[in-house]
Amino acid sequence: VSTQRVQLFATCLGDLVFPQAVADADLLLREAGFEVEFPRKQVCCGQPAFNSGHRKAARRVARTVVRAFSRSLPVVVPSGSCATMVAHYLPALVGVEPYDVWELSAFLDDRGVQLPARNEGRTVAYHDSCHMLRELRVSAQPRRLLERSGAEVVMLPRPDLCCGFGGTFSVRQPEISLAMADDKLAAAAAVRAEALVTADPGCLMHLGSRAEQAGGLPVVHLASALAQGVAA
Amino acid sequence: MRKLEQAPGRFREVARRKLADARVQAAVEVSTARLRAHRLDAWGALEDVEELRQRAHDVRMQAVRDLDRYLADFTRALEARGGVVKVCATAEEACAYVVEVCRRRGAGLVAKSKSMASEEIGLNGALEAAGIKPVETDLGEYVLQLAGEHPVHIVAPAIEKTKEEVAKLFSTIEKREVPADLEELTASARRQLRQVFLTADVGITGANFAVAETGTIVTVTNEGNARLVSSLPPVHIAITGIERLVPRLVDLDPLLQLLARSGTGQPLTSYTQLITGPRREGEQDGPEELHVVFLENGRRNLLGTKYEEMLACIRCGSCLNVCPVYRKTAGDAYGPVYSGPMGAVLVPLLVGLRNAPSLPHASSLCGACTEACPVKIPLHELLLELRRDLVERRVGSLRERVAMTFWSILWSRVPGYRLSTFASRLGQPLAGKVGPGKVWAGGRGVPGLSRRRFRDWK
Repeated sequence: VSTQRVQLFATCLGDLVFPQAVADADLLLREAGFEVEFPRKQVCCGQPAFNSGHRKAARRVARTVVRAFSRSLPVVVPSGSCATMVAHYLPALVGVEPYDVWELSAFLDDRGVQLPARNEGRTVAYHDSCHMLRELRVSAQPRRLLERSGAEVVMLPRPDLCCGFGGTFSVRQPEISLAMADDKLAAAAAVRAEALVTADPGCLMHLGSRAEQAGGLPVVHLASALAQGVAA
Repeated sequence: MRKLEQAPGRFREVARRKLADARVQAAVEVSTARLRAHRLDAWGALEDVEELRQRAHDVRMQAVRDLDRYLADFTRALEARGGVVKVCATAEEACAYVVEVCRRRGAGLVAKSKSMASEEIGLNGALEAAGIKPVETDLGEYVLQLAGEHPVHIVAPAIEKTKEEVAKLFSTIEKREVPADLEELTASARRQLRQVFLTADVGITGANFAVAETGTIVTVTNEGNARLVSSLPPVHIAITGIERLVPRLVDLDPLLQLLARSGTGQPLTSYTQLITGPRREGEQDGPEELHVVFLENGRRNLLGTKYEEMLACIRCGSCLNVCPVYRKTAGDAYGPVYSGPMGAVLVPLLVGLRNAPSLPHASSLCGACTEACPVKIPLHELLLELRRDLVERRVGSLRERVAMTFWSILWSRVPGYRLSTFASRLGQPLAGKVGPGKVWAGGRGVPGLSRRRFRDWK
């Protein structure tokens, strides 16, 4: 039996801003026995343009996904919103057949991956990113993985509420966007989480940089939480 | 007249003011959370909410897709019962018609029960200009009218008001101290409004639905005020959007099951009224005249377009209560009448994108609205379509379009991507100081571009 191969989609934010999180996703997949390919032609799913209404620009960028990825192997994405873009919108946008695309935690959970107990004794909160929660319907899997890594996962009081990133929303309506981030960070602090874990680099960038400026708990990518432990 | 149009930048400006008001923040948060929780409980208690939502959606779309036929059916049925149907293309026409009916009856006082359509056309202003006094009889709206304000929430219009503020307003009217106690306030409101019900010359209500088959209008309230307004005065005028038609009486089944459950969490509101025609020979109660005013006011723009589903909206307020942006801004930011996700979609469609260009972006596209809509309108996807139209009809910013085009050309191949991200890294010291980066940095740290891209480690 040959090892199963998967294709890793770093996403633009992962590649440029959170390469460690992508490296951690890579590590988790390899630890679980997968052979990880990194298609060199990948760039970005086109979501920044797509969600702002720029279909033509989005199509131009989304075609990089078509050039980079094969339809015969699973595409694993450490980003809920980019996985949603590739799964739900990109095929119609550029006119291609659907991909076998998975958000990282959904993939690991589906394959019954065992995880080392790197979060023993830790209390964390998990932030549902919107597209992952409502369009991919992935919300139990990341929590289950965190628990399997030894963490106690506490529920946020309103896990349905968006953190306020919303792509260009964060700079079109900065005041509302920040207020939403503050609510989310305060909610995580109120349930006494040591760290707030999210599977979306967009939420991570928004919440993390707000927490950094305003003083808040650490915000950690799910892949890093599982591969390094939240305390690392 | 009150305009639905909204200048660019107004949303952000009002939102900023609301964010700074701790009292408003607390009030909106508490009431939307409560309404949402009640809705979830009520949906959860249904045997198969998904089946019901689908049925409700189908019934609404059946009416929307064949509107003229159902409008004709309704007219025929109501006229046979002695009612009058008037279809108005614009807000002005609708106001003029109502004023004319009032004048013909020599009306001085009009009792109104809650109606979004009358808000939309600015009816109160038109009546006042004609020397006719309109009094709102929905308690929340009455309070707002006394305060000289407008509703901020479809279902719970006065959620920003405290009982102390209400007591102050009532004390002025009653010319005595009314204590800020809920029972006292209710008794006071009853004294004030009873007088209005008994002496009004004309009663104006909305209509939640209009049944084509029978010529029946349906109103739902919790205070019973629509019942008094539609039966005590000698004239009853009901104003509603043309899209609120439903084909048959049985179609009310999924809609009435969902409307109150989605708005307030109740299985039914306290009063559900079906009115078919004015008082008939030998009947004791009811008005001598019944007029049903169907309002177009831009609704026909949506027919046969990708936005048609928006006409299925039953104005339950469910999408407002789950919207994280509404929660932070309350209703006023969206404009004078329709707010939350449904307002952000509907208003640009009624008045044209050019006249409400910021509303399609008044959302983080989180999708909570779509999930909460009882008639399954894909609200966040419609917002996405509106954003697309902003770009493709050249309404949105030219600078943004040029930037997106350049960016997409660079990022359409790996070498361009490498070049642009290399340049960005060189430009990192500028990152929080210009353009959108500067806006970002006003409150957030600037995320550093990593010194090495992931692809360079690999």
